[in-house]
Amino acid sequence: MLTRLTGARIIDPAHGVDDVVRDLYIRDDRIVAGPKPGESVDRVWDANGTIAMAGAIDLHTHIGGGKVNIARALLPEFNRREALPATDICGACTGGPAPSTLATGYRYAAMGYTACFEPAMLPVNARQAHLEMGDTPIVDKGAYALLGNDDFFLDQLATGADPRAVRDYVAWILHATHAIGVKVVNAGGISAFKFNQRKLDVDEPHTHYRVTPRQIVRELALAVHELGIPHPLHVHASNLGVPGNVDSTLATIAAAEGLPIHLTHLQFHSYGTEGDRKFSSAAGRIAEAVNAAPNVTVDVGQIMFGQTVTASGDSMLQYRNARHGRPAKWVIMDIECDAGCGVVPFRYRDRDFVNALQWAIGLELFLMIRDPWRVFLTTDHPNGGPFTSYPHLIKLLMDRTFRNDVLASINPEAAKMSALGALDREYSLYEIAIMTRAAPARILGLGDHGHLGVGACADVVIYEPDADPETMFARPRWVFKDGQLVAERGAIVAVTRGSIHTVKPPFDRGIERQLEAWFARYQTQSMASFRISDEEVCACGQAPRLVVHDCRER
Amino acid sequence: MAARTATCAFCGLLCDDLEVDVVGATLRPLRGACERATAAYATLGTDAATRARPRVAGRPVDFDEALDAAAALLRAGRRPVISGLDVDVAGMRSVLALARRLGAVVDHVHGPVKYRNLHALQEGGAITTTLAEARNRADLMILIGTGWHRRFPRFVERIIAPEPFLGGTGAPRRIVTVDAIEGEARRALPANVEHLPLDAAPGQLPAVVAMLGALADRQPVDAGRITGVAPGTLERCVDWMRAARYGVVVWSAADLDWPHAELTVQALARCIRSLNRDTRFVGLPLAGTDGDLTANAVQTWQAGVPLPASYANGRVDFDPSRHALPRVLARGEADLLIWVSSLGHAPPPLSGSLPRVVLGRADLVVDHGVDVFIPVATPGIDAAGHLLRTDKVVTLYLPRVRVSTLPSAASVVDALAGRLG
Repeated sequence: MLTRLTGARIIDPAHGVDDVVRDLYIRDDRIVAGPKPGESVDRVWDANGTIAMAGAIDLHTHIGGGKVNIARALLPEFNRREALPATDICGACTGGPAPSTLATGYRYAAMGYTACFEPAMLPVNARQAHLEMGDTPIVDKGAYALLGNDDFFLDQLATGADPRAVRDYVAWILHATHAIGVKVVNAGGISAFKFNQRKLDVDEPHTHYRVTPRQIVRELALAVHELGIPHPLHVHASNLGVPGNVDSTLATIAAAEGLPIHLTHLQFHSYGTEGDRKFSSAAGRIAEAVNAAPNVTVDVGQIMFGQTVTASGDSMLQYRNARHGRPAKWVIMDIECDAGCGVVPFRYRDRDFVNALQWAIGLELFLMIRDPWRVFLTTDHPNGGPFTSYPHLIKLLMDRTFRNDVLASINPEAAKMSALGALDREYSLYEIAIMTRAAPARILGLGDHGHLGVGACADVVIYEPDADPETMFARPRWVFKDGQLVAERGAIVAVTRGSIHTVKPPFDRGIERQLEAWFARYQTQSMASFRISDEEVCACGQAPRLVVHDCRER
Repeated sequence: MAARTATCAFCGLLCDDLEVDVVGATLRPLRGACERATAAYATLGTDAATRARPRVAGRPVDFDEALDAAAALLRAGRRPVISGLDVDVAGMRSVLALARRLGAVVDHVHGPVKYRNLHALQEGGAITTTLAEARNRADLMILIGTGWHRRFPRFVERIIAPEPFLGGTGAPRRIVTVDAIEGEARRALPANVEHLPLDAAPGQLPAVVAMLGALADRQPVDAGRITGVAPGTLERCVDWMRAARYGVVVWSAADLDWPHAELTVQALARCIRSLNRDTRFVGLPLAGTDGDLTANAVQTWQAGVPLPASYANGRVDFDPSRHALPRVLARGEADLLIWVSSLGHAPPPLSGSLPRVVLGRADLVVDHGVDVFIPVATPGIDAAGHLLRTDKVVTLYLPRVRVSTLPSAASVVDALAGRLG
């Protein structure tokens, strides 16, 4: 089946193509140069006057796994208000702060997103994460395995294990859980909370293992780098949401010692203690540090005003911040000598000083970090707000007048404390395409995603240009997933299943001798039960393909 | 003959260390089987069970004929209710697809029991833990009620008896049993623990829990008012709670069998929250038996709301007061019962002349009033499957241990949906 999309203005930053009108050809599920000699075009789509981009990629969105499901179960009063009725092809489900997997897949696809990455898959919860992602239709999926709070790794560090053994363990986890990257959340802090430590600064030792977050971040960043995993260590830094945490964030950047790291939901980690209320923006200092550190990439975790729910592995800080939550009910879990989680609903209000300043801090980061290849568009869904607010966020970035109008309507004290009004920058469509397509594909090592070159997978989005970017990005005219039309002007027209993206770096299987003994002594399942086979993960994930991306051992 | 390692599907602990002797289709547990597993294997692990046949109005038929008869009932039904739901993840995925198709009401056989914990969660949240945390860190466990031992027979051996290793102090684990009556649970406790029995008169358990919470919160209360509690015991228990470094409260919602038991679960959650101001304290509700957590989890992620739910009129509606199975049956709101049950042996309820289609465990004894019976594979025995463990964190893959021609619940439900055209 050969398809031609005619006359669209192509924006494809991976190839430096900015607003060039040309035809796109799709053969089955791939982009091709054009018809082979004698081959006829089966279907032509008239895309004159439209804008074509590759399918968007969300590299940090909590779409599957136990804590999201706890959030759904906790808040029926919100989800039941947002019932999505069944259509001929879509099942009845609900949206809300923690939307159902069905709504998640439908809504991402309708918005032109074709790949989503769950950033906090606890290794012991990996099966459930893959099962939930498997019930998330249309989009491709991948997940980062959470490490750095598990007793096995902390024990390795505390007992001075050979760095090769740490590497082997990291690789073993990636294989066993089918992850595409490694994330650390509040390094050591989730574990320390189990020992009743209530805070853990970057150079503060864990009360039992006597290792520091700095050591943990460095060891994991090194292991990820040496295994040649494309995605750098994904870091949720220490002291999430705490005024003054700018120091922890800068110390975490330093802890990487020049190794690649990705700092996630940076907005929640860019707070100072200036002013009468001892809460201020430190976005300027953070942006300066990021601009000066080419080894660092970030995503913002912008907050959006309204009701949401925060679901994080960071049990220590979620417990600490739970008193700010609305409605006042929350869940904290210690999990299986592996990690933890905290689910706290939040209602971000534009008239609230702290919330308004958080909103401004996120935008300051977007506008002050210069290189769009190193800053990604996220709300840390659902923690800062739902992913459905991305079109609104894009408008805030692209339209300075609109941004300043909103700034004028928020808590005036917060607006006064923020540098936002003085920032003139407006993102171009090209820069939006970088931060939502080309750059995430590059940093995840997804060779055939995020671009429109020959050989790319045929995830293509056709937008109708509009003076209002929110309108343009909310409902693309057509969304093609693997060459098939799946959404048209916001409506799902075909329900397909996405692939699972993983990495499988080589490692020494000798580590399994230690692991088997560890499982037998401390865990409540055997090592064999823990490990998920390729065949099983495809069944869990209802995935047509398990895609293994290349690692380059260093 | 071959010994195989198996994962047991017959309570929420999902022990993965059973050794089962397999001779043809005959299964005999050699190691790791508790009384629940032994009972299930005794009736399921027979050659006859694999040869169970479908029946229509009591008459043995082949699978096709049974599917045709069931599909005819499904086509005729206007307000079906699907229950049982003691199935694996794949089974529940198929059930929900069918429920959406039929506009059915969906509830688990243990729905009202399960909802005690969920209701408390939705009112106030929770601080909880998982099996390995409890086993390795707890220096104090408070065991509420008497049924946990019978319902989760290897909890003592697997979680209480091992020494707490990770961060343990070396001191013996402290155990408080909060019983209203003398129990076999107490006799089962290992010798290496320091045990405080906290007895009360029958029916006093909610009061004891409330009083512990008040004392832990340093409220001015008169602990002597609760009948049947030895003087000073409540105070001693609270002293232990305050002194604990990692305290775990264990209960099974099935034991809290009185009206508005969710208030007791909420009182436990409040008590745990208070104690966390100074130390670490967590809850460990025991559940997961007969796939209650599995069914609820799949429904919750696919629909965004838990069970019980209705899919009538192309919408999903979560409403525990309206869609609970006992109420739907009592009010005659359903005109067809579809019972899907591959793990437990609870018989489908009788409700007047309500037609019943039963997809059940091969050894399920059904009354003659059942219109269609189709035997299905049991996960972990006849077919592989996924189940959620008691702590809602660990999902285990249960490989099959014998070759069996029994179809999986998922495949039968899919076949039924396929016949609806």
